[in-house]
Amino acid sequence: MPQLQNIYRVVANKKLSPRFYQLCIDAPSIIGKVQPGQFIHIRVNDGLEPFFRRPFSVYRAQKYVEILYEVIGPGTQILSLKKKGDPLDVLGPIGKSFDMPSPETRQVVMVAGGIGVAPFLILTDFLRKRQSLGFDVPKLILLYGGRTKGHVFSMKEFINNGCAVHVATDDGSVGVRGRVDKLFSRIDFNPRTTWIYTCGPKPMMAVLQRFARRHRLQGQACCEETMACALGACLGCSIRTTQGFRTVCYDGPVFDLNEIIFE
Amino acid sequence: MNLSVKIGNVRFKNPVTVASGTFGHAEQYYDLEEVGRLGALVPKTVTLKARLGNPPARIVETPAGMLNAIGIENPGADGFIHHKLPSLQRIGVPLIISILGHSDEEFVTLVSKFHEQRQIVALELNLSCPNLGKKVLVAQDPQATHRLVKRVKKISRVPVIAKLAPQVTDITVIARAAQDAGADALSLINTFPAMAIDTLRRRPILGNLSGGLSGPAIRPMALCLVYTAAQEVKIPIIAMGGIVTADDALQFILAGATMVAVGTTNFINPRAPIEVLEGIKKYMRGNKVKDIQQLIGGLRTEAAETKG
Repeated sequence: MPQLQNIYRVVANKKLSPRFYQLCIDAPSIIGKVQPGQFIHIRVNDGLEPFFRRPFSVYRAQKYVEILYEVIGPGTQILSLKKKGDPLDVLGPIGKSFDMPSPETRQVVMVAGGIGVAPFLILTDFLRKRQSLGFDVPKLILLYGGRTKGHVFSMKEFINNGCAVHVATDDGSVGVRGRVDKLFSRIDFNPRTTWIYTCGPKPMMAVLQRFARRHRLQGQACCEETMACALGACLGCSIRTTQGFRTVCYDGPVFDLNEIIFE
Repeated sequence: MNLSVKIGNVRFKNPVTVASGTFGHAEQYYDLEEVGRLGALVPKTVTLKARLGNPPARIVETPAGMLNAIGIENPGADGFIHHKLPSLQRIGVPLIISILGHSDEEFVTLVSKFHEQRQIVALELNLSCPNLGKKVLVAQDPQATHRLVKRVKKISRVPVIAKLAPQVTDITVIARAAQDAGADALSLINTFPAMAIDTLRRRPILGNLSGGLSGPAIRPMALCLVYTAAQEVKIPIIAMGGIVTADDALQFILAGATMVAVGTTNFINPRAPIEVLEGIKKYMRGNKVKDIQQLIGGLRTEAAETKG
């Protein structure tokens, strides 16, 4: 029943590393509508297994809609087998997008963990586009953490978009050894001129939230939960916030970083 | 072709609706022209006071279905009337409001708040939510069901529908208790109590420990309950339980259901209710059925004639 539901064609499904893929969909009605931080909800299979759709942040929306995904279960496993020309039942774009930084912002810091980097490329695309509209573009910094070299990717695209990219991996196979918060000391976090965006594992975002509170930094977090409907109907994807339970699909996935209550 | 059906004194243009808790309030996401073609809409259950709902996780994907333990998160009757009802009224489809009181008095108050609102044509009493920590549900106790339905019927100006629980020793006893108390219809069925465990953490996946199972996984059981109840009572039955396609819906209709509700499938295919409606029409055209009444309870159980 939603106006958002359409069948699109797969344009490409590229393997980036043993576990990570990039899916490209010909979805003209999503292009031009989608905002950074929004997601699409994909039915990977016509049958009943797996039963739910799967939500994915939009990674890029230029000629085609692109998502980045990691194969972690039966849904993404089936998705990884899609080939050029295959039809795909997609709902979207859905959800609340990132706010654009305020005019005083001189520096945007994106803190990503693993596949959590996905919503940030489209964000930097949009921030750069604002430049052509006469906005001052703040300095763009990506702090990127992953387990190993194989868990961090698309850094080239970020560099091409004018981002300074700093990487930390658990095993030190690329960047500094350790978690992403090891990179915080490299940045001058001036609370008046810095705006944070984050997406990644909850423990990582919780560490960043504590850091942000200590330094009075403002920002937004893009969250993920198991979802059924993604339309705000089932209330299944609720998380705790200082405003009470909020659905990730409808009230989010983007929330004020300081409002989320990490458990 | 006549698709219209009646519950109490209310006529619906067709038998297809949605199950409570599965249709959103996010009207900007829906194609309201399509929604407007449904026989009725049933929004998520409303309680007298606002409820925050259960702690996460609230849903789990299971084979051909899902568990939920949402815990009736809702803005309360007044919040619903002010913030949700106007946009639902604007859709122009008859509304059946699902209500849940924590006592008979609360049910009575809820009825008085809703039965005179525009566009609300019936009230569904949720006697069977498994996620509120009750040991025995109203719908598991024939006396309690009878008493409550009778009290509500005394004051309600619109038809009253009793939504029953699947987990009972004999559905006919509860179905008859509701009918004898004056219920205008039954909704069959609510979710089945169910669990899932995270073996790594050795913890229940749901924040509420257990939840309710819905989706195609429960359909054959729901069908059997609808058939069994339909043999016992004369009042109409609104059937729900894992309906995905028109064929699923037709099975319930043949088993005795007057209306059919698409529930969990809305989460997977939000267009399913319309597809079900179109599929029923196609079946009727293909089988030269002029009136849906010819199908309701039309199951043939006599021995098939042998051709010789």
